[in-house]
Amino acid sequence: MFDLGAEAGGDGRRAVLRWLEEARPEDVVDFSAAFDRLLVEFAPGTAAERRAGELAALFAGLGPVPAEAADVREIPVRYDGMDLAEFAARLGLGVGEVIARHAAPIYEVALLGFSPGFPYLAGLDPALHVPRRAMPRARVPAGAVAVGGSHTGIYSVESPGGWHLLGTTPQRIFDPGREPERMFLLRPGDRVKFVPVD
Amino acid sequence: MDALEVLHPGLGATVQDLGRVGWKRFGVPPSGAMDPHAARWANRLCGNADGAPVLELLMQGAALLVLAERRFAVTGAEAGGVIPAWSAATLPVGARLDFARNERGLWTYVAVAGGFAAPRILGSASVYPRGGLGRALRAGDRLTLAEPDLPGPRGRAWVAEGERRDYAEPPLLPVWRGPQWEWFDAAEQRFFLEAEWEVSLRSDRVGYRLEGARLNPPEREMRSEPVLVGSVQVPRNGQPIVTMRDGPTVGGYPKIGVIDPTALSWLAQCRPGVRFRLVAAE
Repeated sequence: MFDLGAEAGGDGRRAVLRWLEEARPEDVVDFSAAFDRLLVEFAPGTAAERRAGELAALFAGLGPVPAEAADVREIPVRYDGMDLAEFAARLGLGVGEVIARHAAPIYEVALLGFSPGFPYLAGLDPALHVPRRAMPRARVPAGAVAVGGSHTGIYSVESPGGWHLLGTTPQRIFDPGREPERMFLLRPGDRVKFVPVD
Repeated sequence: MDALEVLHPGLGATVQDLGRVGWKRFGVPPSGAMDPHAARWANRLCGNADGAPVLELLMQGAALLVLAERRFAVTGAEAGGVIPAWSAATLPVGARLDFARNERGLWTYVAVAGGFAAPRILGSASVYPRGGLGRALRAGDRLTLAEPDLPGPRGRAWVAEGERRDYAEPPLLPVWRGPQWEWFDAAEQRFFLEAEWEVSLRSDRVGYRLEGARLNPPEREMRSEPVLVGSVQVPRNGQPIVTMRDGPTVGGYPKIGVIDPTALSWLAQCRPGVRFRLVAAE
């Protein structure tokens, strides 16, 4: 487990992930990142501590990789989530105000995780930050657009979940029937904007 | 050529191999056989590659009809039937494999000489129903031979004594310090390593809840971070959850430990009521 460090910022984090994606060291079986934490899994038999030290030194020497001016992907949302009214009331905001604030930003995919292709979207209006539900739901449908803490996200498959459900999107963000390169609608670093629909 | 028909899937039947590696950053967990030790031996008894797809059955209730005269192997949990666990035999067309009564362990593996044909998604045949990667087997499903023209080994065979496992008597399970080990005070750390644990009934391929003791969770909020299979997370109720092979790839609870990969196949087979202890890994 590596700390990519807040001081490195998004550009530093991108540099490390880009390097791992391109260099694909033979003894690295898998890697994944969430926020500023990076998990690198080494092949069995690797001197993991020594290799981790080498990689940390290498990461520190990488130049920053600025965000590319990627196209903003528009995702339609019907704001009909079962937590919307309670969520708005808890914040002392009107439902319309919550929708406007949720649909305004251009979000960035900070990571895919929790379930296949589930995007943690960074850039949520601080007025909408609410801790996860005390009791997670046993079943949240695929396509549910939700808020958990300081992030918004989209449930990619039906699963248990503790985020507040604000709406639903008909867009499939994970489609296992497609070939690997097109299975995931979003990738880390992509930018996303929600478009309210009726 | 069909090898088997599922007459009844029992408590749960899926096709698994040794897992889907390299997709964690897209949120795809590894999946794969819960007890890779037993899955490998099922394949070895049939002359297959270690990582060939096998049938994984949960506890009991599964019934299979033989559609091709081939050698079949059964390993892992003992659940009755004409082939005792950790052995293989050639069965005639029309024979039945009934896993009517689970005696020890949780997961039983069935392999066939020539292997099962199974679609691969992201490089693996491991079914992960929660993620939409394949589905569990149902009554009427048929499993096809991958190599219908290669009859493979025939007759009876047994796994060597030293490789068979008695899941009622698990050894000490080695556990590494987790990323948040230091968040727990010394008494909790010691208690974690000294307590007798037991797998809760509320456990599945996603996670095993541990009972028998309770830890005081640290009073700290943490951000979600990547999670390794075998991670022992401690949620606010203090009841540890071990991330298993279909578990989420990120998690937001402090991880006091990570079960050593070699011990996970033992843990996977610990049914409720079987007590086990952890030991600091070196």
